[in-house]
Amino acid sequence: MQIQPILAALRRHKAGTLLIALQIALTLAIVCNALFIIHQRLSHLSEPSGVDEANLFVIENFWGVQYSTQEASSEIKADLAALRQLPAVEDAAPSNSYPLRGGGWDNFISLTPEQIKPTTDASVYISDESLIHTLGVKLIAGRDFTPDEVRDMGTRENIHPPVVIVSKAMADKLFPDGNALGKPLYSMSAEPTVIIGIVERLQREEVNTWSAPFVNQSLIWPMRQAIPIGLYYIVRAKPGQLAAAMQEAPKALYGRNRMRIIDSHDGLLSFAQVRQRAYNRDRGMAVLLGIICVVLLAITGAGIVGLTSFWVGQRRKQIGVRRALGATHRDILHYFLTENLLISLGGIAVGVLLTFGLNLWLVTRFELRVMPLAYVLSGVVILLLLGQGAVFAPALRASRVSPVEATRPV
Amino acid sequence: MFTYYLQLGLRSLRRNPMLTALMVMAIGFGVSASMITYSVFRAVSGNPIPEKSSQLFVPQVDNWGPQQNEKGEPPGALDYIDAIALMRAHQASRQTLIYPVMLSSPQPGSSSTLVSTGGYAVMSDFFPMFNVPFLYGNAWTGSDDEKRAADIVLSEEFNQRMFGGANSVGKNITLSGHDYRVVGVAKHWDPSPRFYAVWSDSAFSDSPDFYVLLNRMLDLQIDTSGRNSCRGRLEFNGWNQWLQSDCVWMMPWVELDSSSEVARYRQFLEAYAADQQHAGRFAWSPNIRLRNVMGWLEEQKVVPPESRISLAVASGFFIICLVNTIGLLLAKFMRRAAEIGVRRALGATRHEIYAQYLVEAGAVGLAGGVLGLVLTAAGMSGVGLLFEPEIAKLAHLDVSLIGLTLMVAILATIAAAFYPAWRAAQVQPAWQLKSN
Amino acid sequence: MLKMTHLSKVYRTEVVETYALRDFNIDVKEGEFVAVTGPSGSGKTTFLTIAGLLETFTGGEYHLDGVEVSHLDDNARSRIRNEKIGFIFQAFNLIPDLNVFDNVEVPLRYRGMKAPERKQRIMDALERVGLASRAKHYPAELSGGQQQRVAIARALAGSPRLLLADEPTGNLDTQMARGVLELLEEIHREGATIVMVTHDPELAARAQRNVHIIDGQVVDLAEDPRFHTAYAAAAGQVRG
Repeated sequence: MQIQPILAALRRHKAGTLLIALQIALTLAIVCNALFIIHQRLSHLSEPSGVDEANLFVIENFWGVQYSTQEASSEIKADLAALRQLPAVEDAAPSNSYPLRGGGWDNFISLTPEQIKPTTDASVYISDESLIHTLGVKLIAGRDFTPDEVRDMGTRENIHPPVVIVSKAMADKLFPDGNALGKPLYSMSAEPTVIIGIVERLQREEVNTWSAPFVNQSLIWPMRQAIPIGLYYIVRAKPGQLAAAMQEAPKALYGRNRMRIIDSHDGLLSFAQVRQRAYNRDRGMAVLLGIICVVLLAITGAGIVGLTSFWVGQRRKQIGVRRALGATHRDILHYFLTENLLISLGGIAVGVLLTFGLNLWLVTRFELRVMPLAYVLSGVVILLLLGQGAVFAPALRASRVSPVEATRPV
Repeated sequence: MFTYYLQLGLRSLRRNPMLTALMVMAIGFGVSASMITYSVFRAVSGNPIPEKSSQLFVPQVDNWGPQQNEKGEPPGALDYIDAIALMRAHQASRQTLIYPVMLSSPQPGSSSTLVSTGGYAVMSDFFPMFNVPFLYGNAWTGSDDEKRAADIVLSEEFNQRMFGGANSVGKNITLSGHDYRVVGVAKHWDPSPRFYAVWSDSAFSDSPDFYVLLNRMLDLQIDTSGRNSCRGRLEFNGWNQWLQSDCVWMMPWVELDSSSEVARYRQFLEAYAADQQHAGRFAWSPNIRLRNVMGWLEEQKVVPPESRISLAVASGFFIICLVNTIGLLLAKFMRRAAEIGVRRALGATRHEIYAQYLVEAGAVGLAGGVLGLVLTAAGMSGVGLLFEPEIAKLAHLDVSLIGLTLMVAILATIAAAFYPAWRAAQVQPAWQLKSN
Repeated sequence: MLKMTHLSKVYRTEVVETYALRDFNIDVKEGEFVAVTGPSGSGKTTFLTIAGLLETFTGGEYHLDGVEVSHLDDNARSRIRNEKIGFIFQAFNLIPDLNVFDNVEVPLRYRGMKAPERKQRIMDALERVGLASRAKHYPAELSGGQQQRVAIARALAGSPRLLLADEPTGNLDTQMARGVLELLEEIHREGATIVMVTHDPELAARAQRNVHIIDGQVVDLAEDPRFHTAYAAAAGQVRG
């Protein structure tokens, strides 16, 4: 197929040609960036939290009266005993927070007491010796807390427990050589806290852009949150009995002491709900962009069909003349496919620049990463296929124009 | 003539139903995607207090120093020492400290069940500063602040729940075991984003139930239910030591009514920080900020990045839909070149041809706008997919959004039709009449 | 009514200049029925499009109904076409999307006429051409002769001072052609000025006066020596 005459013909349809090329360029830019964002968001979604999600739920327990530290502590112990007695409950633990909660407590971590710039940042969980079993996280080194290591923490009390259990990500960050066990770390204090255990994985309380550099870095301190506001109970149901446990637990707590508040709306959340809330934006973003991509490609394709059909209609006589002069069906088909390919390539050339421009804007504005070339290449392939596919039907119709058309008046 | 053009346009649109449907769908999808994302953006980026946003300021003092602060920026709240010092100095015409508190209240009608209730610990100036409207009673006064009275102002909604909407001024209410005297009931007031508490709370969380006298809260050692942020070594132990620490948790606001007052207050902050340096409390030179409402919302990044990204992507999508529409309109109009030639010969002026095709495009735009409205209404329920319920509920289809949807659809389509209609109007009357 | 003096029309391309009309002079009096004849490519259609203000000309003067038209802008020319001139085309040029009534209505719409008056005029014009009963039909449902009569009705509805016809019977069979011609003669008897381009000598003979164009100029058939050799030479050079 000769390209020269096609280009010459396109020059006579400047507006239409430019419009299709522009549409392809813009579509490429949006689709590539959208695919990239979708992929990033979805990869977040599948990150494991390290806990036994299928059987876990959390209770947000506010105290109805201003308990003193001692009062709160004994209430907590009694609550836990009541929870553990329930037939559907495997274990229960007190806590200040839970993984994927969306915010909470984090401390800077240093390797020496003199250090001013911290080494890293840890998501802080405080609980007793039951937390590791309750969460179902795997202790891969060292030991769990003993009951006598657990202390009560009252309002704005600043206790630095001598022992700590850290996540593997945390241990690896602080001690890359893998000998973290038994080493001290300093958490905003001159007092050391010694690593006595390492758990395989324990995700942080928040999963946002700020905490991305510290992903999975967390620590557990042996403390009971005995403050007047309240605390969380993390409860692990026996396998398959989550629903039953979630029904029993609040009843048992209210039955023991009514002076508490468990919000009817979100005071009781299964871990599946927790995960859904935590990744709501990520999933929503992926769905929204996915829909936009599909509709966009459909509209661009339909636009190409529409404009090409018009051109074919406009050039029926010309096509008839070509057919009369000996062009085959295939020649006509190829003519329109090649014409679309040329326009698409022009649009893609501009589109690639726009794609990187848009990506650059997203990088500077929203701290996105730089797009790998693979996305642009797949976007280019998608649009070329779309263009050829869209132009095929009108081109086929053009190839069926009878040579008799040449003799008919316009 | 308009109705004639409209008749012609509708007739022509009926002749190519596929092409028309394609254009209407492109406009409909494009405008609805833009409107859905815009409705969220409008809700999260609006000015919550337009009448006063340039007179209300957040003073910031860097008590962490260059080693600990966030990339040179002072923290977004004050520690107790600085907060109390700024209030004592009283260098602004009005000023308040704010922190969120969570208390329990008996469930109305059942004394044995408790529900949690959230509000803000504030000072007397809070109400006149932020133009809080009152349904019953009034705010407490500055001397009540001094007397550390157990005064509380209820929100209209909370008053409805607790007192059935009656005038509760003078009555007592028990929260978390302590009694408070109701001095006023605020008429529904919930600026969105909740600019005065964004540092500590979500900017879009449920509206507060009450505003309680801050000094009373401090006396009762009621802790903040919001953020508390500390740096360096944590050496405090217990409430009183915590108050003396560098932990920031109190949100200050001042009202400054003229640019000279603003300049004076800035000087005051500089001088205050310099004094702290001389006294040896700060080991760094003054690092202060004084931002007004919109500057503060910008600094606190109240607009979620998802809102901006989705709005940008949706707008791009709409632009592509319009480019698509330009192409299709061009094809559609030029297909009728013969008819245009005849009309021109029969005396239609260029303007009349131009107007005819713009009206036709306007009809496409209107149809696209109506489809867009339907899709927008349907899509509103999908906003919850992308945002937390408290943001999602802000996005709704109100009269202004309906008007905007239709207007944008029609104007954008007419704008898209400028070029195709211009081309149509350029068709020469003679050209089509050549007998060969 | 229609007076052209020393009028010329030049088509320029990058390569050549061609004169479609050259030193063209014609004077049609009010109420005349003039037939313009000439070989294919002689410039008679160019003359008609200029006379109908469909195209501009390059030089000379053209007075239409006493008004010099060369300085008029596009809008003014549209208005004159609308109010003073009626067109009848060889190819009828009815708008296929519109029915008979709406086709006849087109020029009246652009004149901004009120609906009752429009309706009156349309029905009068259709009555005139004997197609009042077909008002709701579409052009495709009519025969060629009927279509041309609709086109004539469309030209008449605006009560033009000047009727321009371009080979009005060119696409019709003899029977239909006769009907259309009789209609034109009747319109002429009632006072309209008609200029008709045709290459059919029989048709031309029915007009009051014949004007012959060769090579872009009006010629006196008896005196011009070119007459005898003109056809072949003219066809190659001149756009018609």
